[in-house]
Amino acid sequence: MQRIIRFRNHSIFLILGGVFVGIVLFCALISIIYLPDDPMATNSMTKLAAPSADHLFGCDHEGRDVLSRVILGSRPTVIISLLGILIALLLGMLLGSAAGYFGGAPDHFLMLISDSIMAFPGILLALVFVAVIGKGLPGLIFGLGIVFAPSYARIFRTGIRQLKDREYILLARLIGVKPPRILFVHLFPGLVPQLAPAIVVGIANMAMAEAGLSYLGQGVQIPQPSLGNMLMEGQSYLVYAPWIIIFPSIYLLFYVLGMYFLSEGVRMKFKTGGV
Amino acid sequence: MNYFLRRILQLIGTLFVVSLITFAAFYIIPGDPARVILGPEATEAQVEALREELGLNRSMLQTFSDWLTGTLRGDLGESLIFRQPVTDLVAQKIPVTLTIAAMSIFMTIIAAFPLGIAAARKPGKFADQLISVIGHFFLAFPPIVLALVITLLLGLTFKLFIAGEYVSYTDSISGFIASLFFPSIAVAIPKIAVFQKFIRTSIIAERSKDYVRTAKSHGLSNMMVMIRHILPNSLVPIITVLSIVASEILGGVLVVEMVFNIPGISRLLIFGIENRDYPLTAGIVLYLAVMTVIVYFVADILHSLVDPRIRLK
Repeated sequence: MQRIIRFRNHSIFLILGGVFVGIVLFCALISIIYLPDDPMATNSMTKLAAPSADHLFGCDHEGRDVLSRVILGSRPTVIISLLGILIALLLGMLLGSAAGYFGGAPDHFLMLISDSIMAFPGILLALVFVAVIGKGLPGLIFGLGIVFAPSYARIFRTGIRQLKDREYILLARLIGVKPPRILFVHLFPGLVPQLAPAIVVGIANMAMAEAGLSYLGQGVQIPQPSLGNMLMEGQSYLVYAPWIIIFPSIYLLFYVLGMYFLSEGVRMKFKTGGV
Repeated sequence: MNYFLRRILQLIGTLFVVSLITFAAFYIIPGDPARVILGPEATEAQVEALREELGLNRSMLQTFSDWLTGTLRGDLGESLIFRQPVTDLVAQKIPVTLTIAAMSIFMTIIAAFPLGIAAARKPGKFADQLISVIGHFFLAFPPIVLALVITLLLGLTFKLFIAGEYVSYTDSISGFIASLFFPSIAVAIPKIAVFQKFIRTSIIAERSKDYVRTAKSHGLSNMMVMIRHILPNSLVPIITVLSIVASEILGGVLVVEMVFNIPGISRLLIFGIENRDYPLTAGIVLYLAVMTVIVYFVADILHSLVDPRIRLK
């Protein structure tokens, strides 16, 4: 009984984060089967219309329903941030494990590459990669995935270097366990406390980067809505129709803030320190 | 001296890879700058002639080695669209971007230290909780959203500044600084939240060490222990994080500049990307990468000054 009543700090973060992220995820999912209005249909009658019963979030400069656009626009944010992190994680796992497990020359080479990538401000390199791979979902997912990979490579490398000389690993090698099995069964589980919060924060940062790229016109292309390009389009109407940017802002904030809260909760649960 | 020499060699290696990535990336971008310049009306022969003139028909390795030798002499080549030296174009815009970045870094430092120290004074008590809650909120504030909120709230509602107004540094230095004040705040706020949290953690970790108890038992005041012992010893990780924060600030400035409509480097960068002007874009990317690498390098030097043990590693 006492355990239930006692104030559990990390569960507050997990619940709050879960609710915030849940709202955005729910919208992204629901957009597949239902939208309150056609998000692409322009209508000269409802140009810059204020929020009302017909259009809960109001209408934008082309008379499009902001609610529908926000719901549809949260889809690229969710897809890109989740798949992008998956790519970053896979790349980071591959490079970081190779560097950490083998050491020596491969380690030096891979770390030089990763240092070089980290020497750029993230958004700058993302701009370059997206320009190469192409604007639109695949370009954003792979471009951001490559940019975010080095930080995961680092976690894998450091963790594996710390763990690989432990006795249980030496014994596993001694009885002839193959390196892939050692990595997946014996080493990676030990990295979860560092990885889990880093992954969740990465999702948030990637959502912000995607919004930034779309805002700069280098991400999701108009008229396809995304939270970032809605901010770009709506900015000129800030004075007359602030709702055009307020609602996408709130959605983006929910997603990012929610992910940060989740990561804080996860971190407290695993009791790992750090920023 | 050996340590610094090794660091400089590492630095040069990093910059070489950076420029190789930049250049390779921009060389394989689909699209034809010659076509962009001449427009859709031009005939295939005209486009071909311009391609030859701009040197677009040479192999990538040839172009890269030319570009690299030029760069080593301080010549980043000529913009394909503007037909002006890239260094001149960048020199007009980069002071604005760097001023915002420098102001943001400065704001981050002067705000984060007092906040971090205040929060670390009595962990878990009211001040700490308050700073932590507000900090968590701003930690995750996307810079674009923050910039828009500042424009909407402080600019349009409370009329603290005129949205979209920019004073060039050639007209008035004080006006220039003032017009960049709110953009810098928009970049700095999330970073203050990150940085103060880190300072708090480092101070708390450092304070539990034995020498702090010894210093206190010698009768030093809390204030003196903090200034003379705890802060200097927690500086090494703090400097590392500050260098990462500084590089993120540079990235944040690129976006916030566009929101506040400031004629900095980011508009030139986007223009370069959209028009396939790769000498221009590669030049800007290299400039910004050099800035970031310099920040890391300075952090390394500061490390070895603060903690001489690092040089021996």
